[in-house]
Amino acid sequence: MNLTPDQIVMFDAWGVPINATIFYTWIVMGLLTVASMLITRNLRADVPPDRWRTTLEVIVQGIQGQIDEIAQGPSRHLLYFSGTLFLFVALSNLLLVIPGFRPPTSSLSTTTALAISVLIAVPLFGVSSRGLGGYLKTYLQPSPIMLPFNIISEFSRGISLAIRLYGNIMSGAVIAAILLGVAPFFFPVVMDVLGLLTGMIQAYIFAILATVYISSATATPSHPLSEKDNS
Amino acid sequence: MSVDWITVAAQIANFLVLVWLLKRFLYRPILDGIDAREAEIATRMQEAEREKDKAAAIEAEYHDKVRALHVAQSEMTETVRKQAEEQRDELLAEAQQRMEREHASWRAHLDDEARKYTAQMHHVGASALLSLTRKALSDLADETLEARIAHHLVEKVKPMAADLARAAGQARVAVITSHDPLPPAAQKAVTGELNALFPDVPVRFESDPDQAPGLMLRIGGAQVAWTVESYIEGLDALISEKLARGTEPKAQDHER
Repeated sequence: MNLTPDQIVMFDAWGVPINATIFYTWIVMGLLTVASMLITRNLRADVPPDRWRTTLEVIVQGIQGQIDEIAQGPSRHLLYFSGTLFLFVALSNLLLVIPGFRPPTSSLSTTTALAISVLIAVPLFGVSSRGLGGYLKTYLQPSPIMLPFNIISEFSRGISLAIRLYGNIMSGAVIAAILLGVAPFFFPVVMDVLGLLTGMIQAYIFAILATVYISSATATPSHPLSEKDNS
Repeated sequence: MSVDWITVAAQIANFLVLVWLLKRFLYRPILDGIDAREAEIATRMQEAEREKDKAAAIEAEYHDKVRALHVAQSEMTETVRKQAEEQRDELLAEAQQRMEREHASWRAHLDDEARKYTAQMHHVGASALLSLTRKALSDLADETLEARIAHHLVEKVKPMAADLARAAGQARVAVITSHDPLPPAAQKAVTGELNALFPDVPVRFESDPDQAPGLMLRIGGAQVAWTVESYIEGLDALISEKLARGTEPKAQDHER
């Protein structure tokens, strides 16, 4: 039994083996992109939105609302990044219910890649918001003694993000697979339902944590995030 | 639990591509659409607000016009009413004047008819009186009426002969005027009597159809007459009294 889809080679493309993680990632990307293109192809301001467009607007505005509650002021770039994280992870986890589908998020490589993306995005957003000097100063706060701890904290964030998402999704998939062998009629269904709930929660947590990390890096000194949270 | 770093790199690339794709086909169209719709709604709301203000202005203008129309209507009604009243008063006054004129005309016509009737009555009465008197004198005293009138006039002149002589002054003739020519016998008798009173004054006889039956003596500025006018007037008064007595019970009956 393969615990990670990385070991499953789906096909070779120009001599490069394409494993299940990448293959199913492309499927998720294709679904998201095609659905978005189909729904948003004929948008006009003077035409009332149909139900699909309304659904997308609710999703996008819901994500934007969550980000606005955390970050200082509206930031479209943060929406693009965190929203894509949420949608990708959520759809991957939802597709868990399709028999034969291996969610990419059950691969430690995928969750590591997403965590690395967050780790890279945090300094990028911080530098673009505060400037290079302003961002590097945050590692010396509240005192230069904290510099190594701040660096360790940054990396531990990424590792915890990756391990949390991977562990939850992979464990759900593995437990469902084990129960399917032991009691194939009832428990796998319950576990799949539970896996859907867990997957949505993990997608939400992953995106929220990424937003919090990026927001804390972009928060201005006069309005640190801690003050906003305490208020 | 192992990490395939090639897969990690591929997934990072996939994720970045997905970010770009969703930015291109999801977030930007949706957010731009929302912004455009909000702008459209704001524009329409502003337009609706402007239309509402415009409608309110038109409504206010309409109410002003209605008020002005009511005021104009009231003024016009008042003007027409005053004109109607003035016209009614003029018509009433004109009708009153016309009625008064007609009444006056009718009264004048009535008075004229009454005068004519009275004159006719006088004439008829005088004729009847003279005729009856003449017949009575002829039957009872074998005398003519003219002779008795002449005698009566002379008897009337005698007491005032001195006054008449003074009033006559330098008059050269005494004129006796009668309704009908006086008979020669009566003329002779009167002439004899007057010549006795006024020896130097000749007497001339004339007739005047307009004069009442009787005799009239004129000497210079003095004048003495006897006519049946006083008798006729007495007869009128008598007839009127009788008529009044005859009509009173009828009037009382009508009042009852």
